[in-house]
Amino acid sequence: MNRLRMIFRVTVFVIVGLLLHYVLPQHDMVRITSTEVIRTDFSGFNRFFYAQADSGNVDQPTRDLRLINTDKRETFLLGFIPRDSTEVMVYRNEDTGWIWPPYFKFDSSDLQAEAASAAKEDGWHVMTHYGWRIRWASIYPNAIDIRPVEGPDVRVIPWFNTFFFTFLIIAIVTIRAMWRQFRERKVDPLLDQAGDKFDEVQAGVAERRSGVRKWMNTWRKPENRK
Amino acid sequence: MGFVRLVVFGFLLLSVIYLSLSWFTRSLRRESLENEWDEDQPEGISRDDYVAAGIKDYNDGLRPKLLLLVYVIPTVLVATIVYLTNSN
Repeated sequence: MNRLRMIFRVTVFVIVGLLLHYVLPQHDMVRITSTEVIRTDFSGFNRFFYAQADSGNVDQPTRDLRLINTDKRETFLLGFIPRDSTEVMVYRNEDTGWIWPPYFKFDSSDLQAEAASAAKEDGWHVMTHYGWRIRWASIYPNAIDIRPVEGPDVRVIPWFNTFFFTFLIIAIVTIRAMWRQFRERKVDPLLDQAGDKFDEVQAGVAERRSGVRKWMNTWRKPENRK
Repeated sequence: MGFVRLVVFGFLLLSVIYLSLSWFTRSLRRESLENEWDEDQPEGISRDDYVAAGIKDYNDGLRPKLLLLVYVIPTVLVATIVYLTNSN
């Protein structure tokens, strides 16, 4: 039982961790090399990893997809430790609209224009994005924002994620406290009441039995009474 | 359409959070009122009356109204994210 619970907890933790890793913003240090538009025919599987058509348009099974090609500085440990080497990285550039994930991005065209103008120069940029590059399923991370920086060694502080995790911890502690209060004030009294009823019934049975016993005893000789 | 969905489901979700929090804070207040009465055993007022008066004071006070921030903060947050994401 304990092992099952352990497996369940680890599974939930891994799933939530993966979800957060996919959805939360990350910062890459990139040199933008070019931008392009390709037509994309989604499959049932990889459709799940794309947003919808540009905000305000109708969604069709096939549509154009904006891509931003870059040279990205490689990192270790979720981007916290920079390395000296670079690799190519391709980002998609899609509106997230009013739905999921809640970036409320409607300016894909403007971002593409920014990327195109950044591609002309050779400078470093911070690319804010979410999502994963999964090559075998043609899945790209979604670019959110491009900001020019002086060089690849500029330190980016993940403010949003800091606040997000602080808030998450506060929320978990609050929900725990709320649940305990609910148990203490609402559930336990009900259980106590049920327990009391049960005790009363038992006491009643015992008394009735003792009544019967008393009556039986009237028939017995004094030395045999129970 | 997406905006309408966001507003409707957002409102429902925030209402659930608001109602839970308002029950929770009131319940904490009630518990501490009960504990106060148990400790002091004030003359001339029964435990139930003491707690009821305390809860009434609490309801009239500022704290339950502050919980309405549950609706305000996410709205401001969404507006800020919309602005920050879409401004160049």
